[in-house]
Amino acid sequence: MAEGGLTSHRRDPIKSSVGNVAAHRRRQNAVEVGKERRESLVRAKRLCRVSSSCDDSDVCIENDMIIDEEQSILEAQTSSAVEELKSAVSFQGKGAMQKLVGALREMRRLLSKSEFPPVEAAIKAGAIPLLVQCLSFGSPDEQLLEAAWCLTNIAAGKPEETKALLPALPLLIAHLGEKSSSPVAEQCAWALGNVAGEGEELRSVLLCQGALPPLARMMLPNKGSTVRTAAWALSNLIKGPDHKAATELIRVDGVVDAILRHLRKADEELATEVAWVVVYLSALSNVATSMLVKSDAIQLLVQRLASSNSLQLLIPVLRSLGNVIAGDSHTIVAVLLPGCEITDNVIEVLVKCLKSEHRVLKKEAAWVLSNIAAGSVEHKQLIYSSEAAPILLRLLSTAPFDIRKEVAYVLGNLCVAPTEGDGKPNLISEHLVSPCW
Amino acid sequence: MAMEVTQVLLNAQSIDGNVRKHAEESLKQFQEQNLPSFLLSLSGELANDEKPVDSRKLAGLILKNALDAKEQHRKLELVQRWLSLDNNAKGQIKACLLKTLASPVPDAWSTASQVIAKIAGIELPQRQWPELIGSLLSNIHQLPAHVKQATLETLGYLCEEVSPDVVDQDHVNKILTAVVQGMNASEGNNDVRLAATRALYNALGFAQANFSNDMERDYIMRVVCEATLCPETKIRQAAYECLVSISSTYYEKLAPYIQDIFNITAKAVREDEEPVALQAIEFWSSICDEEIDILEEYGGDFTGDSDIPCFYFIKQALPALVPMLLETLLKQEEDQDQDEGAWNIAMAGGTCLGLVARTVGDDIVQLVMQFIEDNITKPDWRHREAATYAFGSILEGPSPEKLTPLVNVALNFMLTALTNDPNNHVKDTTAWTLGRIFEFLHGSTLDTPIITQANCQQIVTVLLQSMKDVANVAEKACGALYFLAQGYEDVTPSSPLTPYFQEIVQALLTVTHREDAGESRLRTAAYETLNEVVRCSTDETSPMVLQLVPVIMTELHNTLEGQKLSSDEREKQGELQGLLCGCLQVIIQKLGSSEPTKYVFMQYADQIMGLFLRVFACRSATVHEEAMLAIGALAYATGPDFAKYMPEFYKYLEMGLQNFEEYQVCAVTVGVVGDICRALEDKILPYCDGIMTQLLKDLSSNQLHRSVKPPIFSSFGDIALAIGENFEKYLIYAMPMLQSAAELSAHTAVADDEMTEYTNSLRNGILEAYSGILQGFKNSPKTQLLIPYAPHILQFLDSMYMEKDMDDVVMKTAIGVLGDLADTLGSNAGSLIQQSLSCKDFLNECLSSDDHMIKESAEWAKLAISRAISV
Repeated sequence: MAEGGLTSHRRDPIKSSVGNVAAHRRRQNAVEVGKERRESLVRAKRLCRVSSSCDDSDVCIENDMIIDEEQSILEAQTSSAVEELKSAVSFQGKGAMQKLVGALREMRRLLSKSEFPPVEAAIKAGAIPLLVQCLSFGSPDEQLLEAAWCLTNIAAGKPEETKALLPALPLLIAHLGEKSSSPVAEQCAWALGNVAGEGEELRSVLLCQGALPPLARMMLPNKGSTVRTAAWALSNLIKGPDHKAATELIRVDGVVDAILRHLRKADEELATEVAWVVVYLSALSNVATSMLVKSDAIQLLVQRLASSNSLQLLIPVLRSLGNVIAGDSHTIVAVLLPGCEITDNVIEVLVKCLKSEHRVLKKEAAWVLSNIAAGSVEHKQLIYSSEAAPILLRLLSTAPFDIRKEVAYVLGNLCVAPTEGDGKPNLISEHLVSPCW
Repeated sequence: MAMEVTQVLLNAQSIDGNVRKHAEESLKQFQEQNLPSFLLSLSGELANDEKPVDSRKLAGLILKNALDAKEQHRKLELVQRWLSLDNNAKGQIKACLLKTLASPVPDAWSTASQVIAKIAGIELPQRQWPELIGSLLSNIHQLPAHVKQATLETLGYLCEEVSPDVVDQDHVNKILTAVVQGMNASEGNNDVRLAATRALYNALGFAQANFSNDMERDYIMRVVCEATLCPETKIRQAAYECLVSISSTYYEKLAPYIQDIFNITAKAVREDEEPVALQAIEFWSSICDEEIDILEEYGGDFTGDSDIPCFYFIKQALPALVPMLLETLLKQEEDQDQDEGAWNIAMAGGTCLGLVARTVGDDIVQLVMQFIEDNITKPDWRHREAATYAFGSILEGPSPEKLTPLVNVALNFMLTALTNDPNNHVKDTTAWTLGRIFEFLHGSTLDTPIITQANCQQIVTVLLQSMKDVANVAEKACGALYFLAQGYEDVTPSSPLTPYFQEIVQALLTVTHREDAGESRLRTAAYETLNEVVRCSTDETSPMVLQLVPVIMTELHNTLEGQKLSSDEREKQGELQGLLCGCLQVIIQKLGSSEPTKYVFMQYADQIMGLFLRVFACRSATVHEEAMLAIGALAYATGPDFAKYMPEFYKYLEMGLQNFEEYQVCAVTVGVVGDICRALEDKILPYCDGIMTQLLKDLSSNQLHRSVKPPIFSSFGDIALAIGENFEKYLIYAMPMLQSAAELSAHTAVADDEMTEYTNSLRNGILEAYSGILQGFKNSPKTQLLIPYAPHILQFLDSMYMEKDMDDVVMKTAIGVLGDLADTLGSNAGSLIQQSLSCKDFLNECLSSDDHMIKESAEWAKLAISRAISV
């Protein structure tokens, strides 16, 4: 040790044998494969939804689910589950109810499995007509719930698979009514929400079949999970591009009150879903916008923006506020009067959004400001003298393009003013040109 | 109470085996009967100048071994043993040791200096032996010179043993002053100067404060640079080693000196003796390492704030640095390609050139191209080889846009050279360069392909031809083929290599049978290349991959039939078995990945498993590792049917889990536990008692390498997922283990990268265990058994979130566990989650994450939680 002195640092030569690297990579690869399979197994287990409203003990004695990654096996299981369901539907003997619910549960379990549930196989095997039969009036809640659940998962499939649900829609809508138990109604709303999310065509079918009024009524009570699901389904349903649905919704008795009431509540997730409804209402329907403007909506939206830090919530709230301001000239002229408290509050929350880390918030806040800046000279001065001005200028030079574009609109609008005399807008020289620019 | 030990110590080194054995016995007895007296006697022996050198040396060595051991567990035992020793005895021993430093006998003081450093390593962190450094420093001004030398050497060892934070700055200053003075040119004694220079190497880690002070740093740097010019080679080498260490520890302080350092290193690289020149090159390689790291951090993090700024030393030095390195390439040794451990100026220069290319990218290309053009056709092989080597070295770093046109021109030349160049060395480097071309400029991610239908056949033909060349050239040709195949790993449905598949496989198998396949790691290269060719093949060639199964099985079978081998032959046999198991692993993975081939493959499963079980009878760690990996692949392919192999396989699984010493075997086996769980599902139940017992033992062992522990936690999750609520009986053992590990990993005390990485992998293992257990119990009436553990799991999530140092993987797993709690425990967890300090923030942060894996997990968790709360 002593005579050798230090063991000199010696690095691996750049020119080396492929064997070392290769064996190492092979081991790494085995570890990776194990990791991936573990993750896909966990994911599959997670997707097996457990009914929370069903405390029946036989739910709990389900065998450990056999997770098989092989889609083909899953599909085979699905076809046999449909066969089982078919025989259960026609079975009349003792324990028919248990048998049917058991078959439905098995079906639902398969459809909740893996990343790629065997939706196509289920449809091919003829599941839909059977499930529709299971939705018939007077069926026990458990049966309805399981059937609606199966349909929910089928509706989450590919577009053509979602369309397969057409025969089930009338019954799903029927079970939204007040006479249904809330788990059943929620599950049906969920299924319909999936269908509505698929596209314009299915939305108009649902609207024709009268899905909107019962969903709207589900928003009225105070039960959190029901309102959340209904709001989510409604936001899918009124997405447009046709604006009629939005107008129809706002005209349902009690809806405006319910929206305001839910927006006031502490529950952020609930508020988030409701805010999305407001987004589409205010984007598509002038009627809705003017009704909202006349209510406390702007105040509530501003309060939400000021008090929450949840991005999930802030995005729809900010967009709603923007829609209301952009959509109704009354807003700027009559509500956001310079000097009013509400106006200062609006500017303040927009500044908060401009300062946020998140680009969507920055961009949308700039967009809202650009609409306010298009208002009166007093509005322009208000923005110019607020904290927004320096932030906007900084964003103009540093932010990504899409934000810069919106910021440029704000600044552009700030500078547009009626000309007097020599043709130079006074506003610019009087108020906007300062040495620090 | 000291005893006369001289004769026993001498006898212990006797050539007469009996005498030796007897002496060793009595030493052992003595030690067991009275340790303090034993150690004291040894130190007395070491200190006594009248005793023979041999007994003194051995006395010192035994003392040293009584204080330190390689193996971590044993080391801790020895530390505790020393600390609990009688203070009086320790005091006397230390006095003897310090006294020995003044001995004129080099063997005696040198041994003593190491023992002192070991004791310092134990005592200084306990704030004991405070007077040590003071008394060492008082030796410095003493004559004769050897006392000074001994003291400096002791200081050097001391700095190596103890961590900088247990020595106060005042002492650090004094140590550095003494060391730097000893290095100074005014020090007339070369032995003293060398000892001082080597001591500085170890003391550099202590000099943070001194390097922040301009004057002190200037002084240290001046002395180090002067020492690189000393007439004594060893001192120059040691001084360069200091510079190398400074380049990584104090990179950000180097700017004022870099020009001077370039001048002296350039001179050393060109003119100095090899050991010195190698260190001078190493300085620049080390600067490259630093800048590559910094620039990587710049690139990875768009906020652009690395702790240390990049000074672009390499970019600035480039016009002078590159020609200097290119010159070194011409200093090849004749037979360096046949010698696996070779390391010389040309190899170091090329390696550094490669690092420079990675540091500066495109800028290097023009500087090297001229050299290549000037030399590539010269009659002297050294020029052609150097030119080729230069080209191969710069292929990683510069952009494909810059390199592709050059490679398009060079490719044909290289293929011709590989066939026709008369010199093996040139062919070797040419084949390697082709491999580098395929590694970095061929593959689905590149826009312009360099391999086309037009030249593919020629490339394959030339490479297969070269595989018949001398072993070292053939090995490089295999390497080139490896990367050629790898570049096609994503092509579907048809690979350009399909037409040559049969021919390639045949050629590689032929190589494995060459008489000289043991040279230059040729056989390994051939098998690994075969693996890559198989792995990257498409469905078109699966019939041929199927045909390969019995071929490789026969090879493996043949290795098991060999009788009575010499230990040398046995080692070679083991290596071959490892390669064949590796090959089967890849083949099984490939064939198992599609239904039709898996079905045909299954006819061999019983036989293959039989072979693997026989392989376990051979005692070689690498073979066990490879066989385990292959069995993991087989388990996936067979699925629940793997159960029939379990009765026989189980004992090897257990053996693997008990293999603490060769922890890689243990790690691979832990992975296989997971594979088997997923294959067998609840059929693994009968084996779980044994497996869990072993895994729990592993976790509580101090001997097992820590890197195996995170995967063990993950495997708890695998087991729980497989056996569901049957995991119940393990909860009382597994949960407390998980809890205490969780507490440990929630707060990271030190912020060094390696520790952070380990902490995160530990957290990930723990979280995967929780996920597996929670999801395993879902739907079972026994879920309520988990409720008592929920608060702690939430606390763990909370505290990790507060620490803000989770990596993306942990974040994804952690938010998933939050969802699992809600999913499995429903309303029982709902209220806890609502009360939790940070769960909501954590969830929101994950929901808005840019990482879609995190987001996906978070969305699921949100759904699960909303369900749990709404009940």
